Order: sequence, then C-alpha cells, then structure tokens
Amino acid sequence: MSNTIPPFLKSGDTIGIVCPAGYMAAERIVPCVNTLKSWGFRIKIGKTVGGISSNYFSGTDTERLEDLQEMLDDKDVSAIIFGRGGYGLSRIIDLISFKKFRKYPKWILGYSDISLLHAHIYANYEIATAHGPMAGAFLDLVPGDPYIESIRELLSGKKMRYSCNPHLFNRNGEAEGVLMGGNLTLMAHVLDGPSEFKTRGLLLFIEDIGEYLYNIDRMLHQLERAGKFQKPAAVIVGSFTDLKDTERPFGKNAYEIIRDILSAYEYPVCYGFPVGHVKENFALKCGVEHRLKIEKDGVLLEEVNS
Amino acid sequence: MKRKRFLGSLLGSPLLAAAAFQDDQTPKSGILGENDWRIPSYLKPGDTIGITCPAGYMTVAEIQPAVQVLKSWGFNLRIGRTVGERDFIFGGTDGERISDMQQMLDDPSIQAIMCARGGYGIVRIIDQLDFRKFVEKPKWIIGFSDITVIHAHLNHNYRIASIHSKMCNSFPEHPELAEKGQWESILSIRLALTGRRIEYPVSFDASNRRGTGLGILAGGNLKTIETLAGTGSDLRTEGMILFLEDLGEYLYNIDRMFYNLKRTGKLDKLGGLLIGAFRVKPDDPGDEFGRSVYNIVMEQVADYKYPVCFNFPVGHVKENYALKCGVQHELNINSDRVIFREAL
Repeated sequence: MSNTIPPFLKSGDTIGIVCPAGYMAAERIVPCVNTLKSWGFRIKIGKTVGGISSNYFSGTDTERLEDLQEMLDDKDVSAIIFGRGGYGLSRIIDLISFKKFRKYPKWILGYSDISLLHAHIYANYEIATAHGPMAGAFLDLVPGDPYIESIRELLSGKKMRYSCNPHLFNRNGEAEGVLMGGNLTLMAHVLDGPSEFKTRGLLLFIEDIGEYLYNIDRMLHQLERAGKFQKPAAVIVGSFTDLKDTERPFGKNAYEIIRDILSAYEYPVCYGFPVGHVKENFALKCGVEHRLKIEKDGVLLEEVNS
Repeated sequence: MKRKRFLGSLLGSPLLAAAAFQDDQTPKSGILGENDWRIPSYLKPGDTIGITCPAGYMTVAEIQPAVQVLKSWGFNLRIGRTVGERDFIFGGTDGERISDMQQMLDDPSIQAIMCARGGYGIVRIIDQLDFRKFVEKPKWIIGFSDITVIHAHLNHNYRIASIHSKMCNSFPEHPELAEKGQWESILSIRLALTGRRIEYPVSFDASNRRGTGLGILAGGNLKTIETLAGTGSDLRTEGMILFLEDLGEYLYNIDRMFYNLKRTGKLDKLGGLLIGAFRVKPDDPGDEFGRSVYNIVMEQVADYKYPVCFNFPVGHVKENYALKCGVQHELNINSDRVIFREAL
C-alpha cells in the first residue's frame, strides 16, 4: 500500500500547536515554540493552549474540535504539533472533517491519546502521520537531544534512521513494511470501531504507561484474539512505564507478558525501542515503509528509499 | 486457524447459517429473536453445582460460606481442582483452569457451574475451551465481573442463557448478620437457578429516562465488555436490554469506554439501558473530569429514545441481584417507579 506523504517543511513554514485532549498551561509550550522558531519555522498557537478551562480538558468538546479543525483546514499551517495527550480525542474524532486535510495533507505530530488520530487517519485516509514527542517534551531540552532533533529531521524530510541496543528477548531477523502503531490502550480502544486499522505486513510498534500489568495482559489478549498479532511483518516494543501491579503480584513484567503472547509467531520482535512515555522517544513516520534489522549487536530501523 | 475453530464450534448449531455469510471473524448479527436463545434446564434439589476458579484464586476455606448456603438449598456440590490452586493472581495455571472448567462443562452430572470469583484471567483461556458438549446440553454458568467474558462469549457465539450474579466470594460468613440487600441478592441466585420469574425492586432515581423496553438481557462489567471488542466474544446488543457496572476506573476512562461502546455500535439499537453501580476512582487533584457517570451516560444516549435506568442493583456492591443474561425481560420506567421483570 502506498500512503500519501504530506509535503515536508521548509524554513519559513508555519507549525500550529493545539491541545485536543488534556489541559496544558500556556507557559509550558514556550520552550517548544522557541525551539521550533530557532529551526526557522513560524508558529501559530491555537486557542486551546492555556485556555480558560477549569477541568480536565483543554476546552469544551466544541472548542477543542474547532481549534483542531481550523488548524487542519488552514492552508498556511504546514504541520500540527500537539501540546500534550491525556484523554479527549475519542470525544471529537467522529466530528472532525478531514475533507480539506485529505486534499492538502499536512504532518500531524503527537503520541499517547493522539494514537487515535494516527489510527483513524491511517485506517481511513492512508495518509502518513508522525508519532513523536509533543510540546511538553521540549521543557527540559538539552542542546543536541537526538529525540527532539528527530522531529526536525522528520519534518524537513530527512530519511529516518534509528538504532537501539539489543535486548535479551529480541527475536532476530529482518523485515520490511509500513511502520505503524502507538499506544496499546488506544490500539485496543479502536478495535471494531471506525478507527481500527489492519496490521497485516506492518512493522507494528506498541508502548504504554500507567496501566495495571493484568490490564496490559488483557489488552494484548484482546489484540491477539482480534487477529492483530497474526500477520505483522515485525513487532517493535517500546517502553512500558509506570505500570501498576495488584496486591498479589501478576508475576510477569510487561515484556515477559508480550514475549509470551508473541511466542506463537515467528516474525522478528525487538524490545526496548526508544518510543513511549519516556525521554527516549524518537519521532516515527507512521504509514511510511521502513526496514527493520534485529541482530545480536543491535537494532536498526530505517526508512526505505522509495 | 482461530476462524476455523470458531466455525467448527458452531457446526450443527443454528448460528452456522448466519455465520457462513460473514467474511470477518467478528460477525455482527441482525436483531435476535427471542426464540433463537436457549435456556438451560432449571435446577431441582439434588442437582449438582460445580465450583471452579477460571480467573482469580480462592482458597477452599474461603468458599465454605457459599458451600454451606448452596447445600442448605438442597444442591450437591462438586469442588473443582482449581479451588485452592494459585498461580500468582490466577486460580491455577492457564492449563489447570482450562482443564477444570472443561471437565465441568462436559460432565453431564453437573447442572450448573458457579465461578468462585472474578478477578482476571478468562480471556487467557476462553478460546481453548471446547463448548461442544455444553452446546449440546446447556447448563447454567454463574458469575460476574471477569465472568462477563463467558456471558459475552455465550451471547456472541451460542445464544445460551447464563446467570450474572454474586459468586462464592460474596457469600456472607454469617447470613444472619448480612444486610438485607446483600442477603436478598444471594437468595436471588436460588430463585434464578430454580426457574422463578425474575422481578426485582428497583429504587426510583429521578435521573431515569422514562419509557418501556423489551429485549434479551445482556451486559456486565463495562471494562470487560470494552476489551472484548473485535474478538470472538464481542457482546451483541442489538435489540437488547443492556446492563453495565464497573469499579475502580477514573471517570475519564469510563467516558472513553462509553465512546468505545458507541463507536462499536453497541448503544444505538437498545431496548433499554440499565446503569448499575459505578464505584469510580476519584479524579486526581487538578485533573477534575467535570462530568459524573450520569452526565457521561446521558451524553451518549441523547440521540436515542430507549429508557435508561440509573442505580440499578447490579455491580460490585451489596445489592447485586441475579440476572438472567440471554432471557427476554421487560423494563418499564415511569414518573415514579421502575418495573424490571422477566417477560412472560
């Protein structure tokens, strides 16, 4: 399948920042704004950034929808970076009009709750999106941070290339396919609904945070029972952080749970890939063909030259 | 492979013809007629109830209050090998839990199976259970919480009725000291098992949406239902009266789960909606969700007309009456009362 790749950005292009889910104070996006400006981009800040909301959300459903819709439709905005995730896209996803976006695709960058948007766009419109750090990740930025730098590389059209250390659980091998995935909870959440995507042939990546171990197990069994682990070309396991356990321990950590479930298959699997709710979170091009090499010395994921 | 097993398990059942037209492993059905469902034989004194732990662990000592009560009702008991077994949070390894449950499903001298408790674990074994003998001669399966997986599995694949109720871990040690609602909930299991027509007192809630509804009863634990979407146990709700309960979830997560129900088409063609107990995890300071369970539910059902009942006595609370999933019920909510009963 060949997906549409939105145009890459040039110096002087405009990036919009919105918060379609959880609330974020305006001052928390300042480091992000400054960095993006230093890269030569102009910034358009949406109304939902530091809005007047007093509850969980960055604004009412209508406000969040309108802000995102305006950024999607504005031809002067070449990319959208989300302030943060949290929860909230589920409430507005079916109300978003992708009419103009389909005609004039642009890069959409985020993760966590934004996985829903990646899934929805990939499943319905076959347009590439960017899974990666959001505005909050710029807060403790040190110069030369390769993860933040990967955003710049992605937006400017560089062929992506990532490497990481080997992991004891890795199943070595080589695979080529479209890179796609995201937050495990959201991937389970979209099953059987209008944002569910097919996983056949994918380099499928997963990550999660804050869940009970038994719930990780349950969601993985859900995906397994829905056939999602049957035919990917490979699985890339990112970070599973801040997990909780029951009083009586589950008895396995997240990677052991995943290894158990994937033991029924033979495709390559790597663990500890730098994607997830951690500082080590590369910007990844979802919907774009990549090659994955898992060897005993390390893991290499690189975009396939088309 | 899964698909083959799924179809194989339907051979000889009336579902096969319908399933043959589906090109997906998660067929969505049309409206189910009352007559498509099968009700296991009701129990008589002298019949045998098996007790097993298909999910969480429970000790032999812990099931004694249930054993005493069930015996006092005139039933014989068969205690499965998983009672007293433990593999971390589970009542034995997957293999042990499968084998215990399978034996109870297949044994013709067992007329009902009560799951000792919920917890977590059934999705790990449900696809390995062979329901062929059970489908030939259905028996009652009793439980709730994680046992919702079994109720949903029977709803999705076999249309065989089952009982959503308290389990061994909810039987009071001293029945005489139990609160009225708790003890009545325990007694309701006997009534359901022996074929009494279900009719429960539902306290009136001013938030209810009035109306009348008729439909097969389906439902259970919301989180469990959400995590069955897309699988071979996905709950079918079309034309049915749906009941939901949950505990320990943040409000934002309950909201997301209701969006999941909506986006998977489970809320649009109901005969009625029964909202049981939702023991919510309090919002973290600064992250106030700003909506109650009532707000969340009413937002989702605003486009539909069916009756909605709040404060229905089902869930992880003392008042958790036995409900017959897969059996036709009627719901009548008017300005000052709620009537919920098994349809004649």
